[in-house]
Amino acid sequence: MSQPQTATLAADDITLAHRQFVVAENLSLHLPTAQVTAIVGPNGCGKSTLLNGLARIHTPKGGSVLLDGKDIHRLPSKEVARKLALLPQDNTAPEGLTVADLVRFGRQPHQGWMTQWSKEDQRAFDQAIQAADVAGLADRALDTLSGGQRQRAWIAMAVAQQTPLLLLDEPTSALDLGHQIEVFELIRALSGQGKTIAMVVHDLASACRYADHMVAMKNGTIIEEGAPAEIVSPELVQELYGVSCDLIHDPATGSPLLVNVRRNP
Amino acid sequence: MPDKRNALVNTALLGLLVLATIISLATGTVQVSLFDTLRALAGNADPITDFVINELRLSRVIAGLLSGAALAMAGCLMQTLARNRLATPGIIGIDNAATAFAVASVVGVGLSLAPSAMALAGAAAATAIAFGLAGANGTRGYRFIVAGIGIGAIAGAVTQVMLSRVAIDAANAAYPWTVGSLNARSGQSVLVLGMGLAAGYLVLMSLSRALNTLQFTDAVAIALGTRLKATRIIGLGLSVMLTGLAVSVCGPVGLIALLAPELARALCRPGKVPLTAAALAGASFMLIADLLGRTLFAPLEIPVGIITAIVGSPYLLWILLRPSPRSLT
Repeated sequence: MSQPQTATLAADDITLAHRQFVVAENLSLHLPTAQVTAIVGPNGCGKSTLLNGLARIHTPKGGSVLLDGKDIHRLPSKEVARKLALLPQDNTAPEGLTVADLVRFGRQPHQGWMTQWSKEDQRAFDQAIQAADVAGLADRALDTLSGGQRQRAWIAMAVAQQTPLLLLDEPTSALDLGHQIEVFELIRALSGQGKTIAMVVHDLASACRYADHMVAMKNGTIIEEGAPAEIVSPELVQELYGVSCDLIHDPATGSPLLVNVRRNP
Repeated sequence: MPDKRNALVNTALLGLLVLATIISLATGTVQVSLFDTLRALAGNADPITDFVINELRLSRVIAGLLSGAALAMAGCLMQTLARNRLATPGIIGIDNAATAFAVASVVGVGLSLAPSAMALAGAAAATAIAFGLAGANGTRGYRFIVAGIGIGAIAGAVTQVMLSRVAIDAANAAYPWTVGSLNARSGQSVLVLGMGLAAGYLVLMSLSRALNTLQFTDAVAIALGTRLKATRIIGLGLSVMLTGLAVSVCGPVGLIALLAPELARALCRPGKVPLTAAALAGASFMLIADLLGRTLFAPLEIPVGIITAIVGSPYLLWILLRPSPRSLT
């Protein structure tokens, strides 16, 4: 498997804004290599903005995002796309596009001006549809698939990019429990192959269970960062979401579990 | 990835275009057999046939072919950039503005520029204004289209005012432009269009992968390594150039830009911007519409722009009224 070398991604004191409105200020973050990082926090805390900033979708007003130590906005876009893949939240596709068509787009950063589809491309394509378990759906149009199948197809596209870094914006937001677990386990498997992954996750419990590293955000700043078992506490939950809870450890996996979640008295 | 379906579609459309070209050449007041037409093209027909085909008709057919292809490609491109099927240069006022400028040069508003240059200037001006009025969303979103419609209306009115203020001979000379016709072409404009089309096509082919990614959201396009700003600027520039040059030859036959890409999109595989197929379809449409205009009520000639409007308008209504309008492609 020609999984490319590793690559590092970091934010150095970045300020992100939508038009004039500053969403997040002075964020610094380094994604731990070959681990899964979960970015959590309440609605509107800037977690998706941070992810999009890391993926160079938004240009920071200040500071810089560093890919292998170099400013990501100064690198050729194609070179970046060979190192960093993104699964955005809003992923509409042209009508009638099949899963195979979509996954082939993932090879685009590796293709030259006039170069044809290579053996290397075919291999990456096959691996991606295997990994995301969409081989059986390859010829189906995306608009005929269920939400979970469609999400797996998009993940397959990102996997076909064969990047050492993978960013996912709420990869399980529209999925039922079964499909959520499927996607999270796929993410774990990919990180097991050496990919560095960052994802925005809404559900704190899933973040605890599937992430190695957690970044907790509130009002555009990072308030806590570290392994879930070390940083998740009733106090953190109180600060993030304004609710009270008790904390126990999952007897099966040892990851933190929130129980008895309630509004503040 | 070998793409059999699109290659097949392009071959079929090319066949249609060749057929339309030969029939267009053969048909007219003097009817020439298809065989004699081909002989004349090969250069060994009798002098009279040779004159009718190569001197009288060929230049008109070439003008129609090139302008149809250019309008269709410009439309396909603009629709992709705006991610909206309605966003063709004709609808967002670029045709009308190019026409207004071209008419100005014909009726002699003091500027003695060639129609090509004037039409280009008009097209560029309209786009720049629409772009400015659209605000931060650029070509995406309805503001661009609505602003363009307004500019098109103003440009149309300006054309009418100019025609009503000049001597009747000058107005007559400029009139074909206002409805779209292959009668008013100048050899020079056709030549400039041919060169622009060839150059534009080459640039677009080199950009085709990047253009394909514009069918997704911006985030996906960027993630796939597309240089979004550069691709948009080049695409918009080419769309404006092709429209301006085509209008300087045939006037605002805008609906070609709506119909041809639609046919191309229906035939080709989804996920690719069908520029070649659209160009071939547009060239065929223009020739067929011109042929109908010349023959239906002969010896009376109906301008090609009116034929495409009669065929195209119901289609435009259908796009606007169909039950679940989905975004482009």
